[in-house]
Amino acid sequence: MRQVFGFIASALIHLALVATGFIYFPQAARYASDSVILPVELVTLADVTNVRAARPDPEPVLPEPEPEPVMAEPETQPEPETQPEPIPLPDEPAPEPEPEPEPEPAPAEPEPEPAPAPEPQPRRQPAEPEPALDLDDLSRLIDRSRQDTRSGAAEAGDTRRGAGEGTAMTATLQDMLRSQIARCTRSNADAPADMDLRVVVELRLERDGSLTSPPRLRDEARVMNSPNPFLRVAGERAMRAVIDCQPYRLPPEAYAQWRLLEVNVDTQNNR
Amino acid sequence: MIIARLARLAALLAALALLAAPVLAQTPLRVDVTDGHLDPMPVAIPDFIGADRRAADAGADIARVINNNLANSGLFTPVDPDAFIEQIENIDLRPRFGDWRVINASALLVGRVTIDGEDRMQISFRLWDTATEQQLLGLQFATTPDNWRRIAHKVSDAVYERLTGEQGYFDSRIVYVAESTGADGQTLRRLAVMDQDGANPSLLTDRTYMALLPNYSPSTQQITFVAQREDGRNMSYLYDLATGRRESLFDGGGPSISGEGQSLAPRFAPDGRSLVVAAERHGSHHIFRYDLRSRILRQITNHPADDVSPSYAPGGDQIVFSSNRSGRSQLYVMTADGADVTRITFGEGQYYAPAWSPRGDLVAFVRQQAGGRFALGVVRADGSGGERILYEGYFVDSPTWAPNGRILAFTRGDFDRNGTQYSIWSVDLAGFNLRRLPTQGAASDPAWSPLIE
Repeated sequence: MRQVFGFIASALIHLALVATGFIYFPQAARYASDSVILPVELVTLADVTNVRAARPDPEPVLPEPEPEPVMAEPETQPEPETQPEPIPLPDEPAPEPEPEPEPEPAPAEPEPEPAPAPEPQPRRQPAEPEPALDLDDLSRLIDRSRQDTRSGAAEAGDTRRGAGEGTAMTATLQDMLRSQIARCTRSNADAPADMDLRVVVELRLERDGSLTSPPRLRDEARVMNSPNPFLRVAGERAMRAVIDCQPYRLPPEAYAQWRLLEVNVDTQNNR
Repeated sequence: MIIARLARLAALLAALALLAAPVLAQTPLRVDVTDGHLDPMPVAIPDFIGADRRAADAGADIARVINNNLANSGLFTPVDPDAFIEQIENIDLRPRFGDWRVINASALLVGRVTIDGEDRMQISFRLWDTATEQQLLGLQFATTPDNWRRIAHKVSDAVYERLTGEQGYFDSRIVYVAESTGADGQTLRRLAVMDQDGANPSLLTDRTYMALLPNYSPSTQQITFVAQREDGRNMSYLYDLATGRRESLFDGGGPSISGEGQSLAPRFAPDGRSLVVAAERHGSHHIFRYDLRSRILRQITNHPADDVSPSYAPGGDQIVFSSNRSGRSQLYVMTADGADVTRITFGEGQYYAPAWSPRGDLVAFVRQQAGGRFALGVVRADGSGGERILYEGYFVDSPTWAPNGRILAFTRGDFDRNGTQYSIWSVDLAGFNLRRLPTQGAASDPAWSPLIE
């Protein structure tokens, strides 16, 4: 009898919890409905993702304990602490002019980047165990990644990920974004040193790393109507940078973490 | 019992809900970008369109001058016109931004030239940001057709200003000393003036005397310079660009320095009403202020050492000069009436020819190093933070600032068996974009004008 009671209570409370989730986090429900985003969010919950793959989820907190394809194929080689992207491109970054060659005269309203289709690209396995963390190497990797937008999209279909980086992930993502955006950002080092030229741009990204909608400049009125032309230019440079930089090359399995970005740009004193 | 269990369960679930909250709440990932690049910005500038042949030709010329100006600034790279996809036919329609992004143009400048029956030229242009697809600027200028080059400079300034936030400098001129060889094999030095890009050069002085060290007035209507007279003395002159009239300063009928003294390159105060000049009195050089209306010459410094090369701060409240009062020539700053003398350079070697930046924060100088080589550098006007060397070479002299304080022009001397070869070069504040200004033959002593009104 008591068990039945307990069972009913448990079921009720679970239901209540799920319901509260939808009430308190209505946007979660919205996003979930329009794509397959939600499963990925689960990944970020656990500290040690690999471990979680091995055992059934004991915790009923999350409404859908779906099979989680991410975990289906355990990575043979855990690849300890480089960031999770192999990026196989022939070296030679080269100036790389076109982000997307589309030479045919488009109609008046040009949508230039039809969200690079995930075109499967043979992915080279980084067999070598990566002797040491070489910063130059790392930045070269990131550089190439930006060059080849298509291979970035191809990555989206893959489920490969580094092991146990749940806590380090945020920092890694921030580093990846920082270096990608820095490459597209015109520095404000040429402005007078005593000005506050910080601006914040808010982005919403698609899973393929492109922008869902035009970026938003925080305090747009203050920045763009500023009597200080350097501040206005700083705002424009930041906007241009985040647009030019897409598609962003980021691990798709962490999409939930980088779907919304808040980019603080303050490049004035980097010299 | 049951209630206690329920309570515990509820507590557990609440805790779990709290744990889950940060994930579900969708807080954006914060990224701090503090680095950026300083690569030139790619700008596409198709020929300005024109309804008829004459207007179209003028439009092509204007686009060429703007391209050249922006490229010379070092901050922009014109996109090769061969790469253009869209043919601009109407500047009042939104361009096909994709066509311009594909060829990597960050900004697009389109313009139109019309010449009406009364020979008035109208130039309209729009500047677009290809990434945000916003119009950044839309302006119209009217002038006479022979004035097209100045309009091209004005458009360049407007574009530069809109894209960098700082004032442009393209609608300005440079006065300098042109060297040539006279009939008897003697070197002649005459004042010449040209547009900032080397166009429209013309000579101002004749071959009867040597002219040196010119400087512009804030109104851009007058020039001071030093002439070497036949008796070997250097004396200062004021030259009116509109009338061509030359006037000797501090000599003859006016106030004189002294019997045997000579005066060196005068410079204008920012208000244009007075000059500051170093002149010799009783065996050493001092700094004087000369009021152009009252014609009163007033001594500002009085030190047994030589004080030379004064230059006003843009606010007019301070003066930088060089002096050997510490033994070697170093730079000092004082108030406009000579008080509070503060030394601002402390490096090895000797410092000469200070020039206060129009922005006010920096002083450019020439430094002769121990080995005899010369360097062009800048230091903060309060002497803090050390100095930055922008160029080093066999010989450097007479730095002068572009009106926006971003570029310096200077005399550069290169060793040659037949004697040092002088030419005028420019370099930006970061030490990049070193380029020779196009002068005919040897040239030295550049002085950049303020922006022309």
